[in-house]
Amino acid sequence: MIKYRESKISAHHNYLVNDMLTPGFVVGKPNDTEGFYFLADIVLAGESMPRISCRLLAEGPGNLLLELNWNRIQANPEGCIHQSIPGGFQILRTTGDVLLEVQTQAFANGYLTRIKAGLYDENGVLQMEPLGDSISAHDAEKIVLDSPFSSSA
Amino acid sequence: MNKTFGGVWIFGDYRDYFQNRITLQLIAKGRELAETLNTGTTVVLLGDQIHQYAMEYVAHGADTVIVADHQNLKEYEVEKYTTLLAQWVKSYQPEIFLAGATSFGREFFPRLAKRLRTGLSADCVDLEVDPESFLLVQTTPAFGGELLAEVVTPDRRPQMATVHPGVFRELPHNAESVGHIIYPEVDVFPEPRVKIVRSKPQRTGKVSLEDASVVIAGGKGLGSKEQFELLYELAELLEGEVGATRPAVLSGWAGEDRLLGQTGKSVNAKLVISIGTSGALQYITGIQGAETVIAINRNPDAPVFRIVDLGLVADAATVLPILLETLRRRL
Repeated sequence: MIKYRESKISAHHNYLVNDMLTPGFVVGKPNDTEGFYFLADIVLAGESMPRISCRLLAEGPGNLLLELNWNRIQANPEGCIHQSIPGGFQILRTTGDVLLEVQTQAFANGYLTRIKAGLYDENGVLQMEPLGDSISAHDAEKIVLDSPFSSSA
Repeated sequence: MNKTFGGVWIFGDYRDYFQNRITLQLIAKGRELAETLNTGTTVVLLGDQIHQYAMEYVAHGADTVIVADHQNLKEYEVEKYTTLLAQWVKSYQPEIFLAGATSFGREFFPRLAKRLRTGLSADCVDLEVDPESFLLVQTTPAFGGELLAEVVTPDRRPQMATVHPGVFRELPHNAESVGHIIYPEVDVFPEPRVKIVRSKPQRTGKVSLEDASVVIAGGKGLGSKEQFELLYELAELLEGEVGATRPAVLSGWAGEDRLLGQTGKSVNAKLVISIGTSGALQYITGIQGAETVIAINRNPDAPVFRIVDLGLVADAATVLPILLETLRRRL
């Protein structure tokens, strides 16, 4: 039997994660009040913007860097900069390094969002890292979303 | 039904995507067949950076897409395609495997069938599942198109067929569809024996016949190239395209790219006006997908009148100028 990987696929919008298309995924625990999480939520037909919510922590001590809710900054103790780029946005640290990049490619009938980031959890363990032109998200395959995680911002 | 095998597979031919609709047409037919067999419809897709096509096929009804997205598959190479698909078929064991009867499908599908030691029906114009045996009945022109043969593959699997473009209708795009996607490991490729130096798409007309909503079809009964030329004027007035029968093409009145029928193109037009065509079977298979067919022929016994919605027994040379003049005044 040939080895294979599998996922769900949306006809409308997908994220490219672990070199696979997926309508949405989550890493970490979004419902916890503290700690790292990254949620790439399902984009409904009729919408074109990806829905990114996350709590990003510093590599070493695990201090909060930034919190996003549906692409908008919710908390920003380090003073990161939210910057628009063609097809998406970047989050820059005060050092100028790119913390997170989200870019959406529009096809004739659908959308594909690529994410670039190196993200650590509260224990200093790398949870997401760049993989070619997509992202490798540890354990994301197990947590592909069947329906939108959040119905409102 | 042989329970060892499963699924209806369709080869994803995405070249010239917005003109070439054969894969979408096969997905629609595949769903019908899969429903009868109580199984699913799967598109197999090979290439490089082909994410959008996987999404399109799900939007048009595929339950599953099996994808090999690899830079080594950027260019079509028959050996790579045959090797990969043979591995997948042996591993996943589909019941049915369909491809468009395009230059693409016509080249590698027979090789794949040979590799899999199964049968292949070429240029099918219809497919049905027999309700008793659950075998795929593949209808294909035989003996030079003089008759339609029904072919079955009772023992070998998968049951393979190439299908003439335009004979089935695609399902509408549904952005809310969700499917399943599988990425088999594809690290091993055969050593290439052919090196692709350059590939260049062939230039074609501005509108493909398969996508035209109105088609004016002309046959030898028009009598001359001058009379045939009037069809272009009629097509322009009705915002359509001109097609031709084999005798008209052989007479040099139209190019091979306008040929309708089993060795040419099949149309799904809303309206076909067939002028000076007798209605040979090989021609009829090319226009039978049209919603409405009108025929003009001076022979009341012409076979074309058996399949038309409206027939006019008249000399095309007389009627055509009148028709053009009337339309010019009204449009």
